[in-house]
Amino acid sequence: MHEPMMTYLQGQVVEEEIHLTLTELCHTCGIAVEHVTTWVVEGVLEPIGQTPQEWQFGGASLRRARLALRLSRDLEINAAGIALALDLLDEIEELRTRLVRSGRS
Amino acid sequence: MEFKDYYAVLGVERTATEDEIKRAYKKLARKFHPDVSKEANAEARFKEVGEAYKVLKDPETRAAYDRVGNQWKPGQDFQPPPDWDAGFEFSGGDPGGANGGNFSDFFESLFGGRAGHAQTHRQNAHAQGQDHHAKVLIDLQDAYQGAQRSISLQMPMLDADGRLVTRERTLNVSIPKGVREGQHLRLAGQGEPALGEGPAGNLYLEIAFRPHPHFRADGREVYFDLPISPWEAALGASVTAPTPAGPVQLSIPSGSAAGRKLRLKGKGIPGDPPGDLYAVLIIALPPADTEVAKDAYRAMQTAFDFNPRAGMEG
Repeated sequence: MHEPMMTYLQGQVVEEEIHLTLTELCHTCGIAVEHVTTWVVEGVLEPIGQTPQEWQFGGASLRRARLALRLSRDLEINAAGIALALDLLDEIEELRTRLVRSGRS
Repeated sequence: MEFKDYYAVLGVERTATEDEIKRAYKKLARKFHPDVSKEANAEARFKEVGEAYKVLKDPETRAAYDRVGNQWKPGQDFQPPPDWDAGFEFSGGDPGGANGGNFSDFFESLFGGRAGHAQTHRQNAHAQGQDHHAKVLIDLQDAYQGAQRSISLQMPMLDADGRLVTRERTLNVSIPKGVREGQHLRLAGQGEPALGEGPAGNLYLEIAFRPHPHFRADGREVYFDLPISPWEAALGASVTAPTPAGPVQLSIPSGSAAGRKLRLKGKGIPGDPPGDLYAVLIIALPPADTEVAKDAYRAMQTAFDFNPRAGMEG
């Protein structure tokens, strides 16, 4: 790649500018629709909208879905276990954040 | 090449049963999973454990590995003997498998040849290319000002023979002002090229900040420790404090205790609304290393009738 002028790619910040449909989320993370559906039932992901066709996932779902995928694949955790693990990870994160705020980490 | 003792990696005997191997693997996988573990070398250990399990869980690959292992002595440089796997029948499953790539040279030398062909088959001749993900480190200042950065990415991919190779590519990316840690930047069309006439996949960059000696970011908020002297804390003062956007004058209210947070509104990570910057006060004690300094402390001792442990009695 030899380019006479530097061009810089402009990206979009997923968390702020983007909502994903069920199909887009599955494609982006490389997961099957059934996985995402199960995770929604278990409360791992919380889309806006009633039916799967109407579901809109906020950008933050991207990180959550990929984390859920890695945990279920690497550790063979089922959907309920994933939901529990993510809740606990959120809680740990929250506690760590408090440590950071108080300068004790 | 270094010989890898997969039994030692999993902490099991060479005579371990399948169940014992599985149990040992499960325990170590939970312990070192990079999303869960905070151990410094978690990712490397997790990969090592996964590689060991891939070989030992399958009776065929385990038997082949044992045959190689029996001829090897500790400390000896390892080269796979020619035809080491002759006489073993592999049932076509790939030892590579789900996690795709990133195995040690040792693993690749033994099992790599078979690892490549487990491609997902696409139904559609004009399918959209796969999306790719990568994590990039930027400086906190980049989030304050926006920046243009060249980012090197390692891309594992299959070559013409189906072997896994790593290709490096450099992307010039505009870092948008106000981006926060953990957010993703979507670069349209920078993922995997499409098959046929389908659109190319997207590339998602997860943003992380390089550790900064002073500043810690939490979402839009940014924190830093501001050391002050005991007299500045007691009497109040105006001090110069660093911020990611340059130094500012900050007034310390009189009677400030250690740990007090002073908010600099809107001086956190830019945005709508912008985050706040917090100075967390730390009271630094001057050392009593000269007679003058010692006298000053003694003068304080007589001047104050002060018992810091007054609340602890009883």
